[in-house]
Amino acid sequence: MAIRYREWLMLLPLVGVGILLANWVGYGVNALDSLPGVLIMLAIAFVAVVCTRVIPLKLPVVAYCSLLGMLLASPISPVSTFVVEAVEQINFAAPLTIVGAFAGISVGTEIKRFVKQGWQMILISILVMTATFVGSACVAQLALKLTGNI
Amino acid sequence: MKRTEKQAPRYAYDTIAQRLRSEWKVYLGALALVAVADLIGKKEISLGVGALIIFPIVYALVFGVALGPEALKFFSAKEVKAASGLVLVGIGPFIAKLGITAGKDIMTVFSAGPALFLRELGNLTPIFLVLPIAIFLGMKREAIGACHSLNREVNLALISDVYGADSAESRGSLSVYIVGGLIGTIYFGLMASVCASTGLWHPYALAMASGVGAAIMMAAASASLASIYPAQSEQILAFAGASAALTSILGIYVGLFIALPLSNKLYAFLEPRIGRITKAGRRAAEELEQERAAAKEE
Repeated sequence: MAIRYREWLMLLPLVGVGILLANWVGYGVNALDSLPGVLIMLAIAFVAVVCTRVIPLKLPVVAYCSLLGMLLASPISPVSTFVVEAVEQINFAAPLTIVGAFAGISVGTEIKRFVKQGWQMILISILVMTATFVGSACVAQLALKLTGNI
Repeated sequence: MKRTEKQAPRYAYDTIAQRLRSEWKVYLGALALVAVADLIGKKEISLGVGALIIFPIVYALVFGVALGPEALKFFSAKEVKAASGLVLVGIGPFIAKLGITAGKDIMTVFSAGPALFLRELGNLTPIFLVLPIAIFLGMKREAIGACHSLNREVNLALISDVYGADSAESRGSLSVYIVGGLIGTIYFGLMASVCASTGLWHPYALAMASGVGAAIMMAAASASLASIYPAQSEQILAFAGASAALTSILGIYVGLFIALPLSNKLYAFLEPRIGRITKAGRRAAEELEQERAAAKEE
């Protein structure tokens, strides 16, 4: 279900309040210090939404968020120092709490399915972690040999 | 990919006032959950081999579920539906921050050489090895979410964006995200030590493998390696750090352009062949058929 631009403009500040709150309650950074960083993050998210509507590529919003963030902070950006310093005020996990809250609320009707798949998902999770680590180690070993690093 | 908005987009509400009226409880509820979760803060439970770490996001998730219509009934089914649309609004700013952190390190990563880039492909291993097992066990589209990657924040964000936060794919991704968040730190530390003890891999290869997921997993694994190989500890930490930085830059694109299409192809091939061997698999397939038929009649 699509969200209108003006709805984004109402909902993003709500998320912003959530980030300010988490950064203050959880990490002791006062709202005024967090504000510039939060505003930059919200602005990027909004521009990313605009990008998904005006650029005819079928990329998800999060891809534009990542790309825009990287561009703004990379050495080619004239505002990189300001952007990086402002956003560094926001603790890594602070923006996640409100995502967790929404995500938790949104699966409220699926508890039964989660419980039904519980043990299987634990098994699969462990296998996914093992496969990723061991697979990456094998690829890395090969790559390091090929490039003559080891 | 599900989201095709060829026609005029469909909106959930006619006006902002209407949205506010039906969703205000979700907004205030979510902010209250944030305050409570971050007040509790990160907790570490020592287990001898390492610590079980619980982050505020986990409390927010669990309490959010508990307030839902199947438990404490604070939120109605309609509000639950509203929240799934809001997940994306919360994820956008977070990914923007990750992008900024990655952009800052972009030069370090590019100078680290091609081996690191190739290492990224190792992240696709669970698609080949674990996805078939999940399908065999009878999982349906959950398996794609669960096995397409290590399911850290970026991957979870991508899945909820592409398939919607209330999709089967998101359910799978969220499950692995939670289990990984709870035990991932211990498990990565353990795996690094066990793999090192076999002597099969060069310490640098293991160091690069440490940087596949969350920063905290990388820290645990590379710390174990550094203590096993003290003479090379500096290079180990550098390789692990560079690998983690590259994953944070490329993760979303590898997921979108390689991991998801690959998982979908493999799923389409394997599900009809091995997904209905177990009783659970057959039943889940039947349920999906019925849901599809019901949706058609509507």
